[in-house]
Formats: sequence, structure tokens, C-alpha cells
Amino acid sequence: MEEPRIGVYICWCGTNIAKMVDVEYIAEEVKKLQNVVVSRNYKYMCSDPGQDLIIKDIKENNLNRIVVSACSPRIHELTFRKALENAGLNSYLFEMANIREHVSWVHTDRKEATEKAKSLVMAAIKRVGFHESLAKRSVEINPASLIIGGGIAGLTAALEIADTGKQVYLIEKKNSLGGNLAFVDLSFPDLSSVKQILDPKIEKINKHPNIKVFLNTEIDEIFGYVGNFETKLFENTKSEETLKFGNIIVATGLKPFDPSVIPEYAYGKLPDVITSIEFEKMLKEGIIRTKAGKEPKNIGIIHCVGSRNNKYNEYCSRTCCATGLKYANQLRDALPEAGIYELYGDMRVFGKGCEEFYTQTSRKDIVFMMFDQRNDLPKIKANTSKKDFNMIIEINEKLSGEELNIPVDMVVLMVGAQAQDNAKDISHAVGISMCGNAFYIERHPKLDPVATTTDGVYIVGSCQGPKGIIDSVSQTRAAVSRILGTIAKGSVQVEVTTAVVNEDVCCGCQTCISVCPYTAISFNPEKNISVVNEVLCKGCGTCGSACPTGAIRSRHFTDLQILSQIEGIMSLELEEV
Amino acid sequence: MKNELKIFKNNGEQKMRQTVNTKFKQELKEFGVGNWNACFNCGNCTAICGLTENGFLFPRKSIQSIQMGLKENLEKSVDPWLCYYCGECSDTCPRDANPGELMMSLRRYLTSTYDWTGLSKKFYTSKFWEIGFIAFFGAAIIAAFLIFLPPSQRVYSNPEAFVNDQGGVMINSMVDGISSTQFIKIIEYGDWTMAIIVALLLISNIFRMFYKVILKDKSIHIPFFAYFTEFFQLIYNFLTQARFSKCEKKSYWVGHLLLMTGYTIMFMVIVVLLPEFQIEEVKPWYHWQRILGYYATFGILYFLIIAAIERLRKSDIKFKFSHESDWLFIIMLGLTTITGILINIFRLAGMPVLTYYMFVLHLAILVPMIIVEVPFSKWSHLAYRPFAIYFAKLKKASYAQQAIKSQLLTT
Repeated sequence: MEEPRIGVYICWCGTNIAKMVDVEYIAEEVKKLQNVVVSRNYKYMCSDPGQDLIIKDIKENNLNRIVVSACSPRIHELTFRKALENAGLNSYLFEMANIREHVSWVHTDRKEATEKAKSLVMAAIKRVGFHESLAKRSVEINPASLIIGGGIAGLTAALEIADTGKQVYLIEKKNSLGGNLAFVDLSFPDLSSVKQILDPKIEKINKHPNIKVFLNTEIDEIFGYVGNFETKLFENTKSEETLKFGNIIVATGLKPFDPSVIPEYAYGKLPDVITSIEFEKMLKEGIIRTKAGKEPKNIGIIHCVGSRNNKYNEYCSRTCCATGLKYANQLRDALPEAGIYELYGDMRVFGKGCEEFYTQTSRKDIVFMMFDQRNDLPKIKANTSKKDFNMIIEINEKLSGEELNIPVDMVVLMVGAQAQDNAKDISHAVGISMCGNAFYIERHPKLDPVATTTDGVYIVGSCQGPKGIIDSVSQTRAAVSRILGTIAKGSVQVEVTTAVVNEDVCCGCQTCISVCPYTAISFNPEKNISVVNEVLCKGCGTCGSACPTGAIRSRHFTDLQILSQIEGIMSLELEEV
Repeated sequence: MKNELKIFKNNGEQKMRQTVNTKFKQELKEFGVGNWNACFNCGNCTAICGLTENGFLFPRKSIQSIQMGLKENLEKSVDPWLCYYCGECSDTCPRDANPGELMMSLRRYLTSTYDWTGLSKKFYTSKFWEIGFIAFFGAAIIAAFLIFLPPSQRVYSNPEAFVNDQGGVMINSMVDGISSTQFIKIIEYGDWTMAIIVALLLISNIFRMFYKVILKDKSIHIPFFAYFTEFFQLIYNFLTQARFSKCEKKSYWVGHLLLMTGYTIMFMVIVVLLPEFQIEEVKPWYHWQRILGYYATFGILYFLIIAAIERLRKSDIKFKFSHESDWLFIIMLGLTTITGILINIFRLAGMPVLTYYMFVLHLAILVPMIIVEVPFSKWSHLAYRPFAIYFAKLKKASYAQQAIKSQLLTT
């Protein structure tokens, strides 16, 4: 191995680092270390002059290793790797020491902070000496896409991709397309017909030459990696078909909350307590009647059923408030004389045109009553005394402080959204994770909201969290543009800091296979060894630490690199000893 | 301070579960403008109001009760009477719900609930009933005069015979066979009969108000002595309308006080002091009888002209929405005043025929107006307002006692 010629750069980050760490002192100190050729401090290393400094030094002083001691590598590691590449150096011959988030921002004693920063810089210097050049890898993209779920998100995605001439496989577990929206009569806030949104899309999809629809089909297992996925489908549990595709959109949607678990609402016990899903059906048929066939004189609409309550689901289901207002509008049109009571915890009608919708609705002789959504739900009771109404809603009205009985003939429960029952199966099949309430987790909630930690797998619509048509469609189009981008590029670069198996040392115990969270390792029975799929491997190192023989090594995280890093961080203490 | 805070948190009102009246709003709609739908309970109206106080938080609570159909709450409430409709709340309302006019509508509604005859509701909700009743009553009075007290034929042939040496018409001596003293007695008996009927109706309605507001409300227990200690409030507020002066726009209070004193003086003069007032001798201008008459005429006219102009202009929110009963009040009182002035002019000008007919017309307007307005309609507030203040003070005494009790229990 060539002798390391190391350049060290200590960043001030304006005053962010310099006010708590003596950067000039550290630069002077590390200059004394073996193999350190250049040691500098500079105001902003990430700036163009800062990067040019590195490039110039590499060229003039023949440097072959670089250490930058600045902020978190999450922010600028790629910046400096790029600078190395520009100077003709392999980008992995670089190490970063975080002395901002880990030192200057979290310490108050300048002297101690400076010592800690020095240790971290020395660790990086020790480590970088053992860094190796790694070659970049890229894989080709199969232009076909798999879409799981035939709701508004899945339908939109299928059409968007197929219209660009690419193949789409659309999978739906039910026997018809449309998802939950197929049960809905009108949409908010413009009260336009959902049928007019949905039907043309379904019709177009059924005729589309680039879309193959699989009804009554569920995904079992998906093999492969970004650009090259593969699955076997069992349509109607009869015919078997193998599909190959490069990207996956998960659009499995939501499941309505079952209100029978809330004792206060007596759902299932009182016949005229119905869910919003059942009420939509009435609206679609255009006949609003109690179970006894009478026109209801007074109707209660209870919001937040199963949402925003620690006993059921803590989150907000986001569409029910506006839907409840939509019902008030539809009821007012159908039954001009009826009493309409909206019982809510908080009125959350956000989004374009929705506050206006709330204002308009509130002027249609609708009674709004507030209750304590967390601790004091209203109770629905059968009316036994008088004959002119079926039920009583007992509510402790929050704004007035009054305890009230509302006589009603029908109660609509605005049921919230939940993740699908098979959310876990799908997450295993495509290799994505779920948060505590079984909705899928995006790669970054703000900066990368439709991608997942598995490359080539995107989550859109309500499977990521409850949302309405507008948000679902926006997300879908975002994911589609990501997919078309990768297809247009033709290939994707994959991370090379993966695990590799030393075939001579591997004993074939398969411990690594059982611990790998990305199912990236498979077993080769002929050679009796484990084989790492480098495209799937994320380089997490779990296999390396579990391997009893030391046969698995993580690139860029070798034992030698880690041990020398530890040696570097301990060097001050070692000196004292 | 700590004590006050405690009272603020628990003002002593005890809550009982009540059933929403789903038809109440429909019922209330007949009594005026109903824009409660616009209200989203922000409370700006109550924040701006200079008269609201803890335990009597209007207009917000009243509107909330309307919205939710809490008829029981409203019927036991005195809040609408504590409002004098300055219009600040309606000006401030971000949703144009017009709380001021809603309070006005509530006063009309409450008037109808206190009235046991059911006529109040009829008058408020049906023009046919109200105008019909007034027309019928007026016609009956004209008929009674023409049949039982017709003017002497000499009024036409020899009008000078009915003019005294001061040049004034001898108003009490125009009916053949009936002396001046007899005539004035007949009118006086009539006046007293009217006053007693009106008073009985009003007092019985006030008792019903007392029953609904105090007796029926089981959550309050009025300390016995409070009935006496707070009684002066009734008299004081009746005479001064001092609460009205706390409103932002003082001119309303001044105008109202002119009307009220003017009218009260006139009423006293024509009922209690009639023999001193309706005389045949023309007193000098500075005589008390004439001074009072001029003051009353000025007070009433001033108010009526301002009110009529404002109600036509509709620029001030207070006058933007006029109920039929508002206009009827202005028209009837205006006609009464004009006919009264004309009697005086014709009398002083020595014109007996016109004086007689104007006198009959005056009574034909005045009497039905009083019979309709005072016990059943807009004018009933002359009693309900001061009594509401009295009852509010009683309730406050009850709240204070209960707050002290609950504090004693907790400490």
C-alpha cells in the first residue's frame, strides 16, 4: 500500500465551530502527526474557495487522503467526495469528523470541547490511512412498473406511467377497481360527483394497451432490487404469472375504522346509528330513511370516531371533518326542514376552498356542538319515553358548558381511517417499514415524502397516512415523476459500501442470512457459502458483527479501519498512560 | 381577589341536563331577524358590550342558546332585557350575525311568553291581528262617541257659543244635556278603566315573568332579605334607565329619556290630573299645565323624528332592521301626538267642530295603542326592563351566597 499523504482541514463554520473550538490550535497540533502533509483551518470549508483549497492541495502536494473536520457528514459528505473526484482522487479516500453537531453545538467549556474535537480529528486521520478506493456500480432499469392497489392513487399512477408508453401491472385485491372512493357519492369541497372522476379513469385503464390489470390478486413475495424486481402472481388462485418490473408503487389505501368498539356510540346495537360508509350508500341511492323506513327529522353527525383519542387511534384521519360538512350540505338539500347536528371535537377543515366550505355550511342552519374528544365522548341512547324520536344523544357541550340531550332519529358516525389489515404482509413483500400505527414510513417526511428506504419502492395515498383525493393524487404524480426520471436515465447508481463474503473463510452456517434486515444475503448450496446481493445490501454491518468466522467484511467499515479509528480517538488517553 | 376568581369560575349556577328543542328556532324566526346561523361563537359581541357581566354573559350565551335550541335556558333568562341595543355588538361581529337584533327578537319572544292571553304572540307575528285589533278598537271608540256623546247641533249653526271670552273652545261643553263636569267625569272614568285593565294585564304578565325567571329556576335560592334590599333598583332604573347610559352611544339614552319622561308626564296628566288638564280656561303659556304639555310634546316628537329618520336611512346598525312592531309604534305614537297638537291648535283658535272631531280621533288612536302596546307589545318593556334588573340582582345575590357556601365547604 502506498504511503498515506493526508490533508487535514478544520472548518470554522463561521462562528458555529470557532467560538467553542480552538480550530487554529487543532490544525497546528495535528500537523505534528505522522503522514499529515497539510493541515489548515478555514472559515467555510463547504464554500467554493474551501473546496478549491482541497483540490489545489491534492494536486500540488500529491495528497492521497483527505480529512475534513466540520459539520455532520449527512450534510456535506457528498460535497467533499465530489471535490476529491474533481481532483482525480477516489471519493472513498475521504473521512469526515463532525465537530459541530457533536462538539461545538452541544458543549459549553471551550477547553474541553477543543480536546474532544482534537480526539475526533485524530480518529479520522488514523482511519483515513486505511481507506481503500472503491469502484462505483450502476444497474439497468426495467421500464415496467408494478402498482399495488386500484384506488384513486393506483389508478392515477397506472394511467400516468402507461401514457408515456411504459408497461404497467396494476394489482387489486378486490374484484373491482376504484377502492374506497367507489363507495363515495360526492367529493368536498365543491360537491362534485366522484363517479365522474373515477369512471372515465377505470374505463380508460381497462382499454389501455400498456396496462395489465389483475383483480382478486394479492402480492405474496417480491424478489430483486431497484430496476430489476420480480414476482409471481396467482390470479384467482388459478393461473400463475411471473412479472418483471423496475419500480413499485404501493397504493394500498386505508381501511375504515370499526366503531363497534366504542361503547358510547352503541353501533351495532341501535339500528339507526350508521357509519359514514353506510350513509354514503344512502346518499348514492338518494333515499335517506331510518331502518323503520321513516324520513329522519333530526340527524346527528358525530366527528372523530376512532380518531384523536388515545383509546383508539391517536392521529387525525384528515378527511372526516370536511366529509361531515359535506353530509350536512347534502342533508340540507334533501331534507330542508330537518335538524342537523354536527358534534365535533375540533373542526379541522384545511386546504384550498375548505374553510370557505365550512363557512358556507355553517350558514345553512346546521347546529355545531363541541365535545371533549379525548375524555368525554357523547353517548347515544335509545329513546324509550316518547314516540316521536328514536334516540337521544347525551352531550356535554364544551363551548356553552351545558349538559344536553339531543333528540335524533339517525346518527352518522364519521369513522376514521386505519391501515389495511394486510399492511404488514405488503411491507414484508416489498421491503418497507411501518410506523407504530401500521402506516408506511417515507424516506424523509419533508424532503423525500414518497420514496422509502428501499430504492425503487414508492408509497402514495392513504397507505402512508390518511388523506383525501387531492393529496393522494399529488403524491401519486410525485412518485410517477420520480419513476419516469429513473426510467429515462436508464440506470441507477448503487452504494458500494456493502458486505462481501470471503469464500475461503465462510463456513456456510447462514447466521448472516437470518440477521440481514434487507434480505440481501442468499445461500449457495453448491459452494456451501453465503452470497451477498450487493444491490440490496445497505452496508449496515449487522452480518459482519454476527459472523462467527469473520468471513463477512463490510466495505469501508473494515475491522482495521474501525480499530484504527478507536486508536485515534483514544490516543490522548494512551499518551497519558 | 381570590374570592372573585372563585366566583368567576363557579358563579353558583347549577347545571341540569336539558333537552334540545328542535323546533325552537322555527318558532323564534317569527319574531324578527334570525341570523344566528352566521355566529361561530367567537364572543366578540360579549367582549365589546359595556353591560354584560359574569353570570349574565350576553349576547353570546343567548345566541348560543338560540343556535342549540335551549328554550328552557332562554325562557328563564333576563339577559335580553339587560341589553339596550346600542348596536356595538352588531358592528363588531365578524360574521354579521347581528347579535343586537337577535337580542331584540328575543325580547319580542319573551314578551309573548310572559303574556297569558296569547294576544302578544298574535300581535307580534301577524300584521292582520295587530292592525285589525287597533282598527276595530278605534272604530268602536268613534262609534261610542258619535252615538252616546255626539256634538250639539249648535256647534255647526252657532260655533261662537262654544268659544269662551279668552277665544278658546269650551271642549267639555259640546254635548247636549251633559254638563262640563259630567263630561270630564265620563272621560276620567274611561281613562281609569283603560289604565286598570292595562295595569292588571301587565302585572299578571310580570308575575308570570317572575315565575319563569325566579320561581321555576330550581338552581337558585334567593336570600329573603334581597327582595327588599334590591327593590330600590326597580324604582331607580324605571325612572332613570341608568344602565342605558353605560352604553357607548350616550345620545340614545338621552333621546330615550326624553321620550320616556315626556310620555310618563303625558300619561299622568291625562289619567291622574285630567280634571286639571282638560279644562276650558286657557291658561297663560307659563302655567305648569302648559309647560308640562309642551315638554312632553317636545320629548316625544324629538324621539319620534330621530327614530323615523334613522329607520328610513338604515345607516346605523341599530335601525337597519325594522320589525312591523317598530314602525307601528312610531306611526301610532306619531298620530297620537299630531292629533293632540291639532286639538290644542283648534281649541286655541276657537274652532269647536274641528276640536271635537280631532278629540275623538285622538282617543280613537291613543286608546287602542295603549291597550295593544303596553301589555302585549313593544311598550311592555317599560315594566319588564326594570323588573329584569331587579330579578338579575336577586339572582346575583343567590349566586354570591352559593359561591360562599361552596367555598366554605371546600375550605
